[in-house]
Amino acid sequence: MSSLMIKALAFAAALIVATLVVVKQMNVNLDDPINQLTLLGAVAIAVLTFGVSAKYVNQMKTDKAGGELAEENWDGIGEYKNELPGGWAYSFLGTLIWTVWYFLWGYPLNAYSQIGEYNEEVKAYQTKYEEKHTNPDDATLLQMGKSIFLVQCAPCHGITGDGMNGKAHDFTARMSKEQVLDVINNGQNQLGYPMGAMPGGMATGADAEAIAEYVAGGMKGEAPAMFAACVACHGADGTGNNGMAPNIAGYDDALIKNTLTNGKKGMIGKMPSFKTMITPVQEKALTVYLQSLVQ
Amino acid sequence: MFHWLEKNPFFFSVGVFIVIAFAGLIEIVPNFAEASRPVAGLKPYSVLELAGKEVYKKDNCLSCHSQLIRPFKSETDRYGQYSLSGEYAYDRPFLWGSKRTGPDLHRVGNYRTTDWHENHMWEPTQVVPGSIMPAYKHQFTNIADIETAYAEAVTVKNVFGTPYGDEFQPSREAWEAHKPKVLAEAKAIAADMKDPGVKAAIEADEVPEIVALIAYMNRLK
Repeated sequence: MSSLMIKALAFAAALIVATLVVVKQMNVNLDDPINQLTLLGAVAIAVLTFGVSAKYVNQMKTDKAGGELAEENWDGIGEYKNELPGGWAYSFLGTLIWTVWYFLWGYPLNAYSQIGEYNEEVKAYQTKYEEKHTNPDDATLLQMGKSIFLVQCAPCHGITGDGMNGKAHDFTARMSKEQVLDVINNGQNQLGYPMGAMPGGMATGADAEAIAEYVAGGMKGEAPAMFAACVACHGADGTGNNGMAPNIAGYDDALIKNTLTNGKKGMIGKMPSFKTMITPVQEKALTVYLQSLVQ
Repeated sequence: MFHWLEKNPFFFSVGVFIVIAFAGLIEIVPNFAEASRPVAGLKPYSVLELAGKEVYKKDNCLSCHSQLIRPFKSETDRYGQYSLSGEYAYDRPFLWGSKRTGPDLHRVGNYRTTDWHENHMWEPTQVVPGSIMPAYKHQFTNIADIETAYAEAVTVKNVFGTPYGDEFQPSREAWEAHKPKVLAEAKAIAADMKDPGVKAAIEADEVPEIVALIAYMNRLK
């Protein structure tokens, strides 16, 4: 072993001893595997840095040039045709194999996808939501309905649900006289009820006026004679025969569900369909909230 | 074998560039080509909608409204399905925007209707209390330039191959033949509106800016 190498290793040993002294003084807990690894790392760095440096400095001092020179040279500086070092060659081979794996399996199968992350986020949320609201009580539904109403409905129907001076349907009552008259005159077939289309003009003139007055007034007192034409589908009490035809006395599940699903174009304006934006629980919640708005 | 490369710095640089760019090319270019194709069923903007798009640009809606829904639950809950690149295939230029003082508008046609827009553009606070959006009353009286919009459609058809069909030709006759369709489309929208000035203009075969803008808004789905 050359004297340079002995000096280098001695210096490394001195560094290690110094490190150990510091470790001792700082009361480092050597049972902790992290600290053990760190110490091992420090020893390895000290030995390798000075050992390897000394080896190459020695080699530069003693080595003589040899081997076959490559044909070309650059400004008189040539290059030997040495064999590729083994470690380098094997690492290169390793990267080639890794490339094939990464190209065919690694990247296609494990690539990050923003949409994938979104889908997982939505799925996790839906599961949690359904778990929490399997059997919501009325207070929860009312609160939920109110928040949904404020986000989805209030831009047109107003924060209080009054339709903002006739710009949209007014939820504080079932229907205004004008709305009833409009339906009687023009018919209605947009909500997808099992009973199907209501033709226009089933009542006219004073009869229609009387029916409109009666329905808009909350169906109190005695029904006008011509109301019999409405009873066939909407029922004597106007509740629509359990979802066969629209409820004209109040807001029920079927009415809210059908209107949200199909949207509606009436005398006031057009309401778009909210089919994909409201879940069944939310529909129920909206119904509860809308029922609470009726005065 | 490659020794000649070492003596030719230019070709050596080219070779290095190709090797380094290769991974990027095979990962980026195919995805990019795939994503920039129009989504299934996408139609080019009608002339009236293009005129509305011009109003949208002219009145700088872009400064406060974006048209890009990101794939986050909070956004899709409020605005609907997240946006796909293929949906903007016929947007020249696209109007993604980068500032949301107001809400995103990429799918506004799904949840707002003609009558709502009419009330809102006339005086935003009457439907959205506390709104800081300014009123755009001038859109009810300004007349939209549907002729230029037609020229735009013909241009993007010729330059970018937007599928507008053979009837879109750069001639006065072609425009005169197409104009009734634009007016009919405008008429259908004005039928849902209440403003008497707008109705009068439509009767006189003129298209107020608000009608074109609403056509464009309703198209955003």
